[in-house]
Parts: sequence; C-alpha cells; structure tokens
Amino acid sequence: MQAAAPNLIFSNIETIPGMTISQSLGVVTGSTVRAKNVFKDIGAAFKNIAGGEIKAYTELLQESRNEALFRMLQDAAARGANAVVNVRFATSSVAGGAAELLAYGTAVIAQ
Amino acid sequence: MAFEGMIFAAIGCGCTVVPWLLSLIATMIYQPRKRKALLERESATSFVSGDALSTLSKPLGNREIREFRMMMSSVVMSPSWVQMWIGGIISLFGGEINVFTKVVDWARREAKQRLREQVSEAGFDGVINLRLETSMLTKTGGGKDRTSGVEILAYGTAIKY
Repeated sequence: MQAAAPNLIFSNIETIPGMTISQSLGVVTGSTVRAKNVFKDIGAAFKNIAGGEIKAYTELLQESRNEALFRMLQDAAARGANAVVNVRFATSSVAGGAAELLAYGTAVIAQ
Repeated sequence: MAFEGMIFAAIGCGCTVVPWLLSLIATMIYQPRKRKALLERESATSFVSGDALSTLSKPLGNREIREFRMMMSSVVMSPSWVQMWIGGIISLFGGEINVFTKVVDWARREAKQRLREQVSEAGFDGVINLRLETSMLTKTGGGKDRTSGVEILAYGTAIKY
C-alpha cells in the first residue's frame, strides 16, 4: 500500500514519527463512487442462503478504497507535499447499489 | 380436481418452505463453524503485550517508533435469509435484534483479526490509532433499496518499536 505511485508517507496519526512537520498544505481528498456488478449481486444472493462473508464485495470495496487513497495521494503530490497525516476514511451510499468511498487527510511537508 | 388442488397446494407450500429450511440448515452449519475458526485464529495470534490493537494515538509509555505504516482491512458480512426474516419479525416488536447483533459483531471481530494477522505478517509490533468504520451496502431490487450486507473497515497505523 505504501508503494502507491506518488511516493508519499502517510499515516492516520497526527505526527510523522521521527520527523517534524514544517508546513501544512491543507486538506486533500480522494474519492470514488462504485457500483457492484449484477453478476456479483447474483452470486451474493446465493451466498445469503448461509450468510457470512461476501468475498466479492470485500474485494471490490478494498480495491475502490485503494483507488480513493491513491487519488488523495496524487492530490497531495500535486500540492508539493511529501506526507499526508491524519488520514481518515468515510463511506456513504449515494444511490441504490452504489457507494462513495472517500479518503481525506492533511497534506504536510515534513523534515 | 381435489387431487390436483392438493398437488398444487403441496408445490406452493414446498416452494415457500424449502428455501427457508435450506437457509436455516445452511446458517446453522456454516456460521458456527466459521465463528469457531475465527476464535481459534484469535487465540493463535499472540503479541508480546496483550492485544496488538489500540485506539490511542501514541504508544503507551511514549515509546519511540522506529517504523510505521498505515494498514487497513475490511470485511463485508451479510445475514442469511433466515436471519433477515427473524430480524424482520423482531423489528415489529422493537428491542434488540440479536440475530443482527451477532452478525455485525462477528464482522467486526473478523476485520480486527485480519488487521492483527496483516500486522504480524509484516513484522510490526502493534497498531495505534485504530478506527472502526461501519457502512451499509444496499442493493436495488423491486423498486426499493434493500440491505445486502454490512461493511466493517478497520484501519490504523502499524508500528515497530
């Protein structure tokens, strides 16, 4: 995960251990809205007979969340930051069957 | 005529009862087995100082962090047909819907356990600033949104002392 293209440090704690933050560059966000596909829905409906984990959805959401994180890092890189601190995730369903995954944090320059 | 009527009644009855029965049996066999496996995994991951996960933003005793990495894990869990049905009936009367409580609690434990496993695999000592996020997944069908599952996300900063 840390190897996500723009080579930035990120964490969900307020500091970067071993470094001092010299400048804050504001809030950066990355988001993506995804819908599940119908075939996976059908598979999930069968899975619902016994309940439990629906792997197709787990993977889909993980993938999407990585995408959101990646976009956030790109945003931070575009601002000239070298780290993002206090990263948070949020999820909301916008329309039936679709979910918005949001990653946000504070872009900083750390030395 | 009466005979044919009986056959149709039997088929109709079978079509409504059989899926529920199937779901009930599947639920009762599958879910306890998975939960037991989870319990075993939970007791198998041992860390030096109790639980690896912590919601504090700093390690206890202000120990120095040598290395860190943000990590996340998630799981989507869904109640079975029977559980949905029982939940629907209980929600008419209100109060705790323990079939749902069980599933959501299971999902949360699973997400936390996955994070623990991920952390120990990568050679980290623990996780600080753990956050748990819950969200509902819906599917469209029959003109209304129905819940198809609950997603639990666990994320935090893995640290090495």
